[in-house]
Amino acid sequence: MPYRILEKKELAANHVMYRIEAPHVARKVQPGQFVIIRAFPTGERIPLTPVMWDRDEGWIVLVTFVRGKTTMKMANELKPGDEILNVAGPLGNPAPVEKFGRVLAVGLSAGIVEVFPIAKALQEAGNDVTVLHVTPWPMVILEREFKEAVSRHLVEGFDLQPGWGAKEIVQEISRSGAERVRKLLSEEHFDFVLTVGPAGSQKAVFEVVKDFGVPMHADLHPIMVDGTGMCGSCRVTVGGEVKFACIDGPGFDAYKVDWDELIHRVGFYTDMERRALEEYLKSVRGE
Amino acid sequence: MAVKRKIIKERVPTPERPVEERIHDFKEVNLGYTFELAVKEAERCLQCPYDYAPCIKGCPVHINIPGFISKLVEYRDNPDKAVKEALNVIWACNSLPATTGRVCPQEDQCEKNCVMGKVGDKVNIGKLERFVADYAREHGIDEELLFEIIPKIEKTGQKVAIVGAGPAGLTAAGELAKLGYDVTIYEALHEAGGVLMYGIPEFRLPKDIVEKEIDKLRKLGVKILTDHIVGKTVTMEELLEEYDAVFIGSGAGTPRLINAPGINLNGIYTANEFLTRVNLMKAYKFPEYDTPVKVGKKVIVIGAGNTGMDAARSARRFGAEVTIAYRRGEEDVSAREEEVAHAKEEGVKFEYFINPVEFIGDENGNLKAVKFEKMKALDERDARGKRKIVGTGEYVTLEADTVIIAIGKHPNRLIINTPGLKVERGKIVVDENLMTSIPGVFAGGDAIRGEATVILAMGDGRRAAKAIHEYLTKKREGQKANA
Ligand SMILES: Cc1cc2nc3c(=O)[nH]c(=O)nc-3n(C[C@H](O)[C@H](O)[C@H](O)COP(=O)(O)OP(=O)(O)OC[C@H]3O[C@@H](n4cnc5c(N)ncnc54)[C@H](O)[C@@H]3O)c2cc1C
Ligand SMILES: Cc1cc2nc3c(=O)[nH]c(=O)nc-3n(C[C@H](O)[C@H](O)[C@H](O)COP(=O)(O)OP(=O)(O)OC[C@H]3O[C@@H](n4cnc5c(N)ncnc54)[C@H](O)[C@@H]3O)c2cc1C
Ligand code: SF4
Ligand code: SF4
Ligand code: FES
Repeated sequence: MPYRILEKKELAANHVMYRIEAPHVARKVQPGQFVIIRAFPTGERIPLTPVMWDRDEGWIVLVTFVRGKTTMKMANELKPGDEILNVAGPLGNPAPVEKFGRVLAVGLSAGIVEVFPIAKALQEAGNDVTVLHVTPWPMVILEREFKEAVSRHLVEGFDLQPGWGAKEIVQEISRSGAERVRKLLSEEHFDFVLTVGPAGSQKAVFEVVKDFGVPMHADLHPIMVDGTGMCGSCRVTVGGEVKFACIDGPGFDAYKVDWDELIHRVGFYTDMERRALEEYLKSVRGE
Repeated sequence: MAVKRKIIKERVPTPERPVEERIHDFKEVNLGYTFELAVKEAERCLQCPYDYAPCIKGCPVHINIPGFISKLVEYRDNPDKAVKEALNVIWACNSLPATTGRVCPQEDQCEKNCVMGKVGDKVNIGKLERFVADYAREHGIDEELLFEIIPKIEKTGQKVAIVGAGPAGLTAAGELAKLGYDVTIYEALHEAGGVLMYGIPEFRLPKDIVEKEIDKLRKLGVKILTDHIVGKTVTMEELLEEYDAVFIGSGAGTPRLINAPGINLNGIYTANEFLTRVNLMKAYKFPEYDTPVKVGKKVIVIGAGNTGMDAARSARRFGAEVTIAYRRGEEDVSAREEEVAHAKEEGVKFEYFINPVEFIGDENGNLKAVKFEKMKALDERDARGKRKIVGTGEYVTLEADTVIIAIGKHPNRLIINTPGLKVERGKIVVDENLMTSIPGVFAGGDAIRGEATVILAMGDGRRAAKAIHEYLTKKREGQKANA
C-alpha cells in the first residue's frame, strides 16, 4: 500500500527527513519501535525509525542517513507528493520508559535519530535526561528539538579529515564517543545509559560503561528482511541465547549482547552493498 | 461402466525444460500439458464411480476428479467449453487449482490409490488440474466464470477480518466474499500470498499465477491491507470491535534453528530467509533488484523436505555445488517425488544419516565447515512410522561456505501472543468448527497444524468460511429477533 510523502528536507549533510502519511503506524507507534519500508518496485526492505509522529493527523517522520543505494536513491529521487510503496509497522518492542533517575542517552552518528523519541519519553516520564550526540560536525541534527525535549543536549563533534572514508569516521566516533562517555561517567552520576549507533561504536561505549557498572540498554541494528520474526536474518546472541532482534528487541541489555558476533553479522553484505551503490551511481551519471 | 475402455498404461508425459537450460534461470521447469495432451491423459482415467473413486477419497478437499476429467474428453471438440465445465467442477472444492496442481504431494493424496496404478501408471491428476487452471487463466475463462458468480452474491452487511494472506486466508476470504461478507485481509508483508510468494520458488510456482489468483479476490471485493501486522499495527481486540468475525491464517513462519555452536556465523541462512531474499525480493536479479543474497561455492542444505529441495535447487541456480544433508535415510525424505527427482537431475547431491553438531567459522565469523555426527537407523519406529535414529559417535566434517537450514517451522509468534488465545505447543487450539478459544475468532492452516500443506490450509480456509457463515447467520438472526 502506498504512503504519501508530505514533506522532505535535508537536515544536515547526508541526513534527509521525510514526513510520511502512515496513519496505521502513527496511531500505534511507541518510542523504540521501528518500521520497514520499501521505496521502489525493485527495492529492498529497510528498517527505519519513526522519530516523531502525530496520531491524529496520521503522519510519521523518518530520518535517513544516506549511506548506501536505497537511502541515496531515496534522497535523489523522492519528492514531496510521491509515494513510498510500503511502510510496515510499528515493529519491535517499545524501549523501557521507566523512572531511572539520571539518564545518559548516547546517539552515535545517525543513531541519534532513534535516540530522540526514547529520550523525550524518558524525560516526560520524570527522568533527568542528558543526550550526547557523537558525530562529525557537519552532521549535527535535531539540536533544537533535543533542547526542547530533554534536560541537557551535548555534542561531541569532530572535523572530517581529507581522505577519511566510512571506516575512519566510525573509528573516530567510537574513539571520541567512548572517551566522552568515560569523562561524563567519572564526573557525574548516571543511573542508566542508552545507546544507538554502529555496533562497533556501541561496543566501544559499552566497554566504558561496564567499568562503571551502570545499567545499559542498547538498540541493535542487525540486518533485517521481514521484521516479523519470519526469517531469522536479525538474529543476535543475547545472554547466550539466540534472539530475533525484530520481535525480541531491537533493544537489549548491553551487558548480555555478543558484540563481536553482531559486528561480523552486520558486515556480511558490505561488498555487495558497495557494488549496488557503485552501479547506481554509474547509472545516475549516465554511464 | 458399460462402455469398454481401452487401457492406456503409460502416462502422457508433460514437457520439461532441459537441465542444462533450466539451472541457469528461475523460469518454470515443467511446462504442463497442451489441450491435446491433456485430453490424451484424461482418456486414461477409468471414470470410477463417485462413491468409490479412491482418488476423490485421497484428495483432502474431495474434488470430483473423474467429474472434471470427463469434461475434457466429453467436450474435446470445444476446448473452451471443456475447460470451463472442468473448472466449474474443481471450483466447487478448490479455488486455487493452478497452485495445488503444481504443489500438492499427489503421490500421497489423489494419485496414491488411483485404480490405474494396478495396470500401469496412475492418472496424472495434478497435471490435469494444473492444465485446466492454466488454460482457464490464459483464456479468461476463470474470469468469465467469476463474473457469472459476482452478480448473484447477496450482501449480508457483516464484516470479516482475515489475518494472513497465505492459502488458508486467501481461500477463507474468497469463500466468505462469495457468501456476501465484506472481507478485509491483514497481511504483514508487502505482498499477499504467504509461502506461495515468499517460499516456493518461481521455477516451481510462477509468481504471476499467484498474483492473478489474488486479483480475482480483489474482483470479488476482498480488500487487502498489506504492511499490517496483527498484534502490532492492530490488535485482536480492535479487530473484534470492527468486525463480526475473524479468521487467523497466519501460518508457521518461525524458522526452527539448530541448537549447535556457530549457528550465527555469516553464511548460515534459515530457508525462510534464503528463499524470501530469492523469491519475494528477487535477489537472483541483484543488482537490478536491491536485495543481496550470498551463495557460496559449496552449499549444504540441512533437511530433505520440500523446503530443503527448494533451497537446494535455488542455490544450484546460483552456480553452487549443493549437497542436501539429512539425518535419516532416503526412504524418509518427505519432499514431493517430483522435486526430489528434479533436484537429482539438477545435480544436487544427497548425504544421508548425518546430523550437524557444530558450525565452524574463520576469524571473520564466516562459515567454513560443518561437523556432522553419523547416524544410524534402528528397526524400532516412531509415532510417524519413521525408523528411529541414533548417533554413532563417529563424526565427519564437510567444507561449506553457505548453509541453509530447512528443518521446519513453528507458528508465527506475533499472533500466538494474543491475550485469551489458547495455544498448545505453539499451535492455535481450535474446536471442530475451527473456532479458537476467543468467540468469533476462527483459525486454520499452518497456524493450527504446524508445517503442513497448501491443500490442507485451503481446506481449512473453506471449512472455516462455512463455520463463520453459520456463526454469523445465527448472529444476524439473533439480532433480527431482538429488534
Ligand atoms: C531497528 C532499526 C532501525 C533503524 N533506524 C534507522 C533510522 O532511523 N535511520 C537510518 O538512517 N537508518 C536506520 N537503520 C539502519 C538502516 O536500516 C540502514 O541505514 C539502511 O538499511 C541502509 O540501506 P542502504 O541501501 O542505503 O545501504 P546499504 O549499502 O544497503 O547498507 C549500508 C549498511 O546499512 C545496514 N543495512 C543494510 N541493509 C539493512 C537491512 N535490511 N536491515 C538493517 N540494516 C541494514 C548494514 O549495516 C549495511 O552495512 C535502522 C536499522 C534497524 C535495524
Ligand atoms: C519452501 C516451502 C515449500 C513448500 N512446498 C510445498 C509443496 O510443494 N506442497 C505443499 O502442499 N506445501 C508446501 N509447503 C507448505 C505450504 O506452503 C504451507 O503449508 C502453506 O503455505 C500454509 O498456508 P497458510 O495459509 O496456513 O500459511 P502461510 O502460507 O504461511 O501464510 C501466512 C501468511 O500470514 C502472514 N502473517 C503471519 N503473521 C501475521 C500477522 N501477525 N499479521 C498479519 N499477517 C501475518 C504471513 O506474512 C503470511 O503471508 C512449502 C512450504 C515452504 C516454506
Ligand atoms: S487438490 Fe491436490 S490432492 Fe486434490 S486433486 Fe488436486 S492435486 Fe490432487
Ligand atoms: S482412481 Fe484413477 S482411474 Fe479412477 S477415477 Fe480416479 S483418476 Fe480416474
Ligand atoms: S528480520 Fe526476519 S526475523 Fe527479524
